[in-house]
Amino acid sequence: MNKKIKVLELFGIFFYVGLFTLGGGYAMIPLMKQELVEKHKYISYDDFIEVFAISQTTPGPIAINIATFIGFTESGILGSITATSGVILPSLIIILCISMFFKGIAGNIFVHKFFLGILTGVVAEIAYIAVDVSKKIKLDFFNVSLFVLSLIEIFIIKINPIYVLLIGGFLGILFKTKEFKSASH
Amino acid sequence: MLLIKIYLEFFKIGAVTFGGGQAMIPILQRELVTNLHWITMKNFLYFVSIAATTPGPVSVNMATFIGYKVNGIMGAIVSTAGVASPSFILILVIALSIKKLQKHPLYRAFMAGVKPVIIALLISAIYIIASKSFHNALPYIFASIAFVIFIKFKPNAVLLLLVMGTIGIFLL
Repeated sequence: MNKKIKVLELFGIFFYVGLFTLGGGYAMIPLMKQELVEKHKYISYDDFIEVFAISQTTPGPIAINIATFIGFTESGILGSITATSGVILPSLIIILCISMFFKGIAGNIFVHKFFLGILTGVVAEIAYIAVDVSKKIKLDFFNVSLFVLSLIEIFIIKINPIYVLLIGGFLGILFKTKEFKSASH
Repeated sequence: MLLIKIYLEFFKIGAVTFGGGQAMIPILQRELVTNLHWITMKNFLYFVSIAATTPGPVSVNMATFIGYKVNGIMGAIVSTAGVASPSFILILVIALSIKKLQKHPLYRAFMAGVKPVIIALLISAIYIIASKSFHNALPYIFASIAFVIFIKFKPNAVLLLLVMGTIGIFLL
């Protein structure tokens, strides 16, 4: 594809993703999966989940991280700049408009109900992704006990999610490195 | 000068914010309200509630809001660029080396350990949203119906959200 068109397309897709992401973070996974993995096939689902995991352990909003990453792998530095601008621009415009024209919007009951309705949809879509990801991993002792351990860390000990991820990664290195080493030979 | 200061301040905030927007609220509050006096606490809380219910990453929304308040449209653009810059630079470095990285057994073992955790984190994300925003049974019923629809028919994600929002205006 023509390079200029490709960059424009990246901008358009990430603008769309940025426009419809409420609450940030996890809420945007279903939409990104549909757009980036299924429709445009920029990235495989496995790689997408990996980049998502990486974004969780690096600073900054997930949306920006994924936009920068896919923009770069698709069209280099220029691609990463356009994709990132694309994903940021809708919020910038909307927040500027609210700051300038709609001072009382947060208190409006219809706005509140509209967003509450959207949040119910967000919850449903995150649940769907959770089911989807769990289908991708084996139901073995390592995965199940790590899943249970993570739940305990999050809900009972209440550790920062970054550390929960890092503990998982560390246990992975501890118990799985041999397996992958022998697989690569 | 103020613009450079805004950029650097938000760059700093962007660099220390792990795990998305909600985590940066305490940091923003200490820096911008307590230390710099750029905005009042009352305004700050108002920004938090809007930032969480408008599209886009919460941290970007907060940066835009506060940047605008401090120095108009230029302030908003500069603060948004500032908060996005650290992740942009870091991810660029990761993207450059990911192909090599993915072949490494240590990376693959790390990721094998991360995947079960992701499922737990998704469940906790649902818990955070539901416990903060769902105050009676109705939103839970809505969410369950939307879940079934999403699994059965795989509709466009945006369309489903807009439909749920519209129904919400009348029924929630």
